[in-house]
Parts: sequence; C-alpha cells; structure tokens
Amino acid sequence: MTRHMSTAVLAAALVAAAAGSAAGQESVKVGFVTELTGPWAFFGSSCVAGLKLAESTLNPAGKRKLEFVTIDNQTQPAQAVAAARNLDVQSKVIALSGPTSSDTALAMYGYAEQNKVPFVVPVAAFPQLTKPGTRYTFRLEPNAAGWGYAIVQFVAKQKPGAKIALVYSDYALMRAIAAGLKYQAPKSGVKIEPEIIFPQGSNDATVQAAQVRAANPDWVVVIGAGGFDNTLTNQLLDIGIKAEQIIHPFGITTQVKNWGKRSVGSLYGTFFDANLPELTAEGKKFVEDFRAANKRQPSYVENYCYVTAQVIRRVIDADPGAGDDREKFRAGMAALNTKESTSNIPIAFDKNGARKEYMYFMQIQDVTEDGYKSKQVYYTEWDPEVIPVYELVK
Amino acid sequence: MSDATLIILLSTLTTGLMLGVIFSLVAVGVTIIYGSIWMPNAANGQFFLLASLFVWSATVSFGLHPAFAALLVIGASVPLSYLLEATLVRRFYDVPNRNISYFVLTLGITQILAGIFSITYGVWSDQFQIPPIVAGVTMIGPFPIANNRLAAMLIAGALLAALFALLRYHKYGRALRAVFQNRDAAALRGVDVRGIYRMSFVLGNAVVFAGGVLFACAYSFDLTVAWTMAITAFAIMIIGGPGSVLGALVIGIVFGFTQAIVSIFASPTVAAFSYLGAMLVILLFKPSGLFAR
Repeated sequence: MTRHMSTAVLAAALVAAAAGSAAGQESVKVGFVTELTGPWAFFGSSCVAGLKLAESTLNPAGKRKLEFVTIDNQTQPAQAVAAARNLDVQSKVIALSGPTSSDTALAMYGYAEQNKVPFVVPVAAFPQLTKPGTRYTFRLEPNAAGWGYAIVQFVAKQKPGAKIALVYSDYALMRAIAAGLKYQAPKSGVKIEPEIIFPQGSNDATVQAAQVRAANPDWVVVIGAGGFDNTLTNQLLDIGIKAEQIIHPFGITTQVKNWGKRSVGSLYGTFFDANLPELTAEGKKFVEDFRAANKRQPSYVENYCYVTAQVIRRVIDADPGAGDDREKFRAGMAALNTKESTSNIPIAFDKNGARKEYMYFMQIQDVTEDGYKSKQVYYTEWDPEVIPVYELVK
Repeated sequence: MSDATLIILLSTLTTGLMLGVIFSLVAVGVTIIYGSIWMPNAANGQFFLLASLFVWSATVSFGLHPAFAALLVIGASVPLSYLLEATLVRRFYDVPNRNISYFVLTLGITQILAGIFSITYGVWSDQFQIPPIVAGVTMIGPFPIANNRLAAMLIAGALLAALFALLRYHKYGRALRAVFQNRDAAALRGVDVRGIYRMSFVLGNAVVFAGGVLFACAYSFDLTVAWTMAITAFAIMIIGGPGSVLGALVIGIVFGFTQAIVSIFASPTVAAFSYLGAMLVILLFKPSGLFAR
C-alpha cells in the first residue's frame, strides 16, 4: 500500500512537472494564411471551420500549446506573401499553412522555400507546389494533374476504349486536371472528343452542350469554375446528357447540393466525404460536429484543414524540439509516417513534399435540403510521379 | 438537316437571344442613367449582382416563390435608388464635369459592395442557384430548352419592349429623351429636369436589377459575374453610343449572338473577347458610337 501510494505520488508529481513545464513554455505558433475574403472566401472560411474543430482537441493538458494565428490573404498572392513575411519576422511562427488557392499557395511557396520556413499546404492542387527541389513545403492534397490521371483509370476500368468529352474552365487548376487526363488517356486507350475550354467569366454553355451531345461520348468530364460549373452541368442535362455520364473531378458540399436531384447518378471525385463507408470513429464524429456547427456536411477541404492541424501536432509531439527549430520541424514533416485520423488514409511525404496520392469516386444517390447521399464506387491510389506531373504543368 | 446540326443551330439561336436580352437590359439601364445625369455607373455590375443575390436569399433562405421574389427584389430597387439619389447622387447635379466625380463615386460603391458580398455571401457559398420559376423542358423540334430559361428570355424580351414603348410614347419617356438631347431646352419647355434625373436613376437601376434577377433565374452564378457584366454593359453602351437607348438595345442583342456564334465557329475563349475587339474596331471608325446622334 505504501509502495503503491509512493508510486502514485511520484507519477502525479511527474505529470504535474510535465504539465508545469509545458505550461511554462511559450506556445508554438503556426501562421495560417488563408482566404477569408475575395473570390476564394468560401474555401478559406470552410478550411478555418475545419481547423477550429481540430483546435478544440489539439491542446490537451500536459502538452505544449499549439496556436494557429489566422490571417486573411484576401485571395491575393501579394497579400499572402506580406502576411507570410509578417508571421515569419514578427510573430516568429514555426511554420506557415492555410492557403486553399493555388495562386496564393504558390506565392507563399516562393517565400517559404527562399526563407526556409516550413510550409504545410492543406488544400491547393497546382502540381508545382511540390516540384523537384522543394524542401520546406509539404502538401496534403493530391496534385491536380493526378486527378486527371485517376479519372482516366476509372473510365478505362468501366469501359475499355471509352470516349469522353472534356469541358473545362480556363483556370490553372482545371488546366492541370485536363493535362493529366490528356496525358493518360491515349495510354489507357481512352479517346477525348470534344475538348472544350471556357474562358474565365463564361455564363452560358448551351451551344457547347449541343456539341458534346452531337459527339455522343460515353462520359463527360465537367470541370467548371464557381457558378459556371453548375450552369454547365444543368445545360448538359437539359440537352439530354444522362446524369450517369457526368464525371466531376471534385465535389464539395455546395457543389453537390447545387447540382441537385437531377444529378442523382452522376459521379464526382473526392479525397474525403461524409458518405464514405470506412470513416473512422473520429471521422464520423468530425462529420457530426461539423454538421452541428455549420449546418452542412464537410467535404475534403474542411477535412484537410482539420488533418493539417493534427499533422503539425504530431510532428511537435514526436520531437519537442520541432516546436522551436524550423529545421527540426521540417525534418519531422519529412519523416512523418501517420494516417488521417478521419479516414485512416496514410500520410507520408516523398522527397518533394508530395503525398502518395489517392482518390475516391462517389456516385450521387440523393440530394435533400440537409445534404446529400452518395456511395463510393471506386478508389485508386498512385505515386505522384507515375505521370510526368512536373513536366505536364509548368 | 440532321438532328445534331439542328440542335446546334437552335442552341446558338436561343443562347444568342438569352444572352442578348440580358445584356440589353443591363446596358439600357446603364444608358438611361448615363444619358440623363451623365453618370457612368461603374457599380452597375455590383447592382446586378445585388439583385441576383437578393433573389437567391429570398428563395433559398426564406423559401419565397422565385416569381414573387423576383418582383419583390425589382420593387426593392426603387426605395434603394431613391435613398442613394437623395443622399449621394443629387449632390453632384450642379458639379461641372460631374461624370468623373460620378465615376469615382461609383467605383467606391463598387469596392464597398464587393467587400460586403465577399464577407457575407462569399463565405456562405462559392456558387448560387435559385429554384426554377417554371419546371420542365420544352422541345423545339429535336432541341430541348429548359422552361425556366425560356420564361426568363420571354420576360426579359417583354420588359425591353415595354421599356422601349415607355421611352417612345409616354410623356415621361419623351421628357427623358428631351433631357438626353438638350437639358437646357427641355427646362425651357417646362420639363422638371431634376425630377427626370431622379426618375431616370430609379428607372435605370430597376432595369439593371431586372437584368440581375432574370440572369439568376436562367443561370447559376458566383460573385465574379459582377465584373463580367460591368465590362459588358460599358462596352455595349460605348459601341451603341453613350446615351442611346436604342443603341444599347440593338448592340446588346448583337453581343449575345456574337458570343453564341463565335463560340461555335472559333471557341468560347475567342468569343469572350470578340466583342471587345469589335468595340475597338468600331470606335476607330465611329468614336461616338453607332447610334449616337
């Protein structure tokens, strides 16, 4: 009894000492520069909503406090760099994170690599963010050219020799997806006809929908930007393309809800979805908590920002020195071998900071006032350099 | 003619008409205001977007029927315009070269509205779509067209016709045209010039709002539509002749068809800047605009 008592007292003293030591240390600051206003405000705000859920469990007693300093970059690359510089020089953050737009992320990438500040990108798919020679940048989202590769893999498996129509908006992200798709298509025996590019600011696609229908493709890959994505989808459906023929490379909650009931049967790619059958217990709780707080289900954007916070926590937990030393933090990120707590998908980065990539294909089952139901129909994963991704998209 | 060819032909026609009537509405609204009070309203795109977003809120957030919501939003433009006229616009009526002052003023309004939309609607969604006014599809031969778009196109066409009749045959329209042509002479003939200024600001904005509302009925949209529409409306007004309502109406329709036709024979990308190219060429030969008097 006495021995048990003394062990308990010793243990309590050790815990208290550790807690005291953790409490005595300055918090580890991470600069979270994201899009809270401007054209990308929805994505940045959604990302912060995911981050906030992570923050609620990120600092248990006894651990050194991890603090995210969130700054709005106004969806402007110059503003993103200014915020990064301020966080680096003034706030002495250990790392940068936060952008959900490739444009702002690329601007921050330049700053981070040049100034040796670790940069954890949650959601920005432009391939060059992990180009060869990258040292301080680590990205959670698969690169966009890979999404195109994955679509071709899916189509070729469904119907060898299939023909797809490719319609997309002229944005860097969409061009990158199209580049991967066009590279892989002939190698997998998939034909692309027609390929139609819409300039930024397009409103109407009736004529092009008629051209697509005249070409009689097996699938139509639709990659519109913003509201035009939905117009494009509606006009294809209006003209007689079946929902089952439509593939969207990505689907976030607002998109799927706006596609609406008439899109039941159509397919979209994603990296996390509330309807995935194999979510972990934490993943299910994340979906429930997010829905309760935001009145909608989360998509991959919110998940990546939630997971980003956890990844940073794990790096600091694995090596307490990583909270004070950027080189140690970088080394911790490079050596990371963990899993997304929400879906058990592995997280490990290659020499360029890119993850082993993966994609789910979901088929919409129902769309209601509250959300949507979809089922997983395909899953694939690949090495990011299975296609010459950094050559395809400069 | 094969079904496929006929579908492409009919889709080109309907797209040209649909875009044309929307472009015309907005350009006519901008022209009415410019013609009377010399205000190049740089905020027209944001007003257009404001109307679209209000309809979205009324239908999606408050569950109103889209037709009722459309009327409500167009109606709401009247007190909003009166308020703006009373607080800001009328202060410049006696300022020499006030068009520059108005341009700067409306640029400020543009920035303020864009900021407000960004931190409100921009955070709620990345795209907006309202429920259809009329569900279903109508077949024109082999070509299916959504009833909703057909309805928006017909309403926009009817509004343009009513506006044209108002300006040509109603005494207010005649007074407005008199102010357009020579405000001093109009004043000598007993026209209440300041009253006409006020009425044209209200009418012009109501027409821009109508354009925004019908656009939201026909298409999904996002916050970037404001910039596209602002540039397009100015281009139409300049080609048609600043202050020429007929010019805005005709060139708006021509723009719609140009976009539709060029997009099929060249590409949507070429179509997007084809009318701006046309604007530059026309201005080389007729700098005052095609319909200027």
